[in-house]
Amino acid sequence: MQIELKQLVPIPLKDKLLQRVSDIWNTNVSFSSDQQIKIKAPSGSGKTTFIHTLYKLRYDYAGDVLYNGINIKNITDDDLANIRKQKISIIFQDLRLFPNLTAGENIELNRVLQYPFHEKEKITEMAEKLGVTSILNQRAGLCSYGEQQRIAIIRALMQPFELLLMDEPFSHLDQKNIHKATALIQEECSKRKAGFILTDLDDDEHFKYSQTLNL
Amino acid sequence: MLNKLLKKIIKTASGRTRFVMAVMGLSVAMVLILSAVQIQVNYNDLLHSKTNQDSIANFLVLNKSITNSTKNSTLSNENIAQLKKQSFVDEVGILTPSRFKASVESYSDRFPFSTDISFESVPSSFIDVNNANWKWDENSNYIPIIAPNMFLDFYNFQFSLSQNLPQLTQDIVKIIIFKLNIHTAKGTISFNAKIVGFSDRITSLLVPQEFMDWANQRYNVGQQAQPSRVIIRTKDPGNPALVKYLQENGLVTDADKTRFSKYRQIVNAVVNISWITGAVMLVFALLIFTLFIQLTIASCKEEIQLLITLGASPKQLQRFLMKQFFPSNIIIILISLMAISGLQYLAYQFLKEQNIFLHSLISYYTLLVGVIILFALWFVNILTIRKYIAVKD
Repeated sequence: MQIELKQLVPIPLKDKLLQRVSDIWNTNVSFSSDQQIKIKAPSGSGKTTFIHTLYKLRYDYAGDVLYNGINIKNITDDDLANIRKQKISIIFQDLRLFPNLTAGENIELNRVLQYPFHEKEKITEMAEKLGVTSILNQRAGLCSYGEQQRIAIIRALMQPFELLLMDEPFSHLDQKNIHKATALIQEECSKRKAGFILTDLDDDEHFKYSQTLNL
Repeated sequence: MLNKLLKKIIKTASGRTRFVMAVMGLSVAMVLILSAVQIQVNYNDLLHSKTNQDSIANFLVLNKSITNSTKNSTLSNENIAQLKKQSFVDEVGILTPSRFKASVESYSDRFPFSTDISFESVPSSFIDVNNANWKWDENSNYIPIIAPNMFLDFYNFQFSLSQNLPQLTQDIVKIIIFKLNIHTAKGTISFNAKIVGFSDRITSLLVPQEFMDWANQRYNVGQQAQPSRVIIRTKDPGNPALVKYLQENGLVTDADKTRFSKYRQIVNAVVNISWITGAVMLVFALLIFTLFIQLTIASCKEEIQLLITLGASPKQLQRFLMKQFFPSNIIIILISLMAISGLQYLAYQFLKEQNIFLHSLISYYTLLVGVIILFALWFVNILTIRKYIAVKD
């Protein structure tokens, strides 16, 4: 899986972004499955816009985004659904769990949305690793942000992928839990020979990044 | 498992009461429209089926109405040809009146009577008395006559009482041979005559066409040769078009037989109203159901959006939603058809006692309309779901 960006500029941020130098905006850059990319940027510089644009959630940009050489504007709804099931997984900054489903059901949903990559037992196994076993039967809407963030991480790791998009994935976690989560993410990426793109505010040593880019 | 989870996500958003209301609306409309079809079929059955036909009513004797201004009561060939062309007329027969002076008298002294009389004849196909004696040629021993039942009733209940004569049965009358005299300028010629049958179809004394033609030719006293009465066979004497035609052409017939047309018009109107009501209800019910689907989708729009974000394909969701909504439609139609079958059976039982025969089962048309509506519902369902489940919401 390869994602290419060509002269990408989000229209709402255009004036602001063109005044400064960026490794991503208004230039040509590509990401592939053998890379572990860290994208560093201060608040309000368009990290979420960037992730959402890559995931084809928004269209208000100039330039092009290509999945394996195909402009995502030309990808059909069904193809996009397949790419999201098989090739690209995502952890949203705003977590986006179904509040009426239990934490366990939220994870299960992403497991069975396609032909399952993991066995069902894997849910409890991962939950144990991240210390959220006790809340699996609790409605997601009632969980704390920290718990929801760990559930969102497990959910993203439940499906097959070649590239994992993570938008400030550890914002609600303490160092100990970040450590557990990074270990799990690293393990799952290695298992799939998958790469990732992670956005965050500051420098960190969570992963052995192959590249760090400034937004 | 996926369906179970989807159900949990989507059901929590939509209301059960709303669903029950939508289902009830659709059910009522379905029963109305299907019963309108069944009523129409029953109505046509009652009008046209053999078991419900009335042999007397299907034959009408027509003549011009005689008023003070009528100069000529005869029917021209044009009149008759035009009548034959009408869709409601199956067959036209000319009633030939006798154009000679005749009288009948009794041979018996015990039972004396004598009266001047006249006859009519019609083609045999219009006669409902099947009798081997109903034929005449110059060598026949007697002239067969068909008399209206009314004549015998008149004799038995009025004449015989006033004259102190015995009352007679049809069988006795059929045995009596009497004398038929034809009076000409050269004298009186006598024949034997006998009543061979009674009928209610035509209220005249009928003789065979062969005798009528022979006698008219021979003893004609020189009146018109054009007929003034015709008999028609029609499938439906209550047909409003027939009644209208008669009125427009100054023709009259036995009013009793055509009076039914007034009721027909009323029943027609009622049946049409039931159609219209059913159709309007159906449109509203479809609207309600569509709105219900829209509401369900709208009320869990965020959830659907998130499902698509996670990788559920719109087609997958459309299939799922279709599975949620469509089975209820099938059940509604099945229940409506069962209800109508029940009603039809009750109607059949009830009307059977009154000698009105309906089918005990619902008609194929009703089933067919049920299937067509099911397709329409499927189409409306799928259209609504497709319209509201799209990626770019």
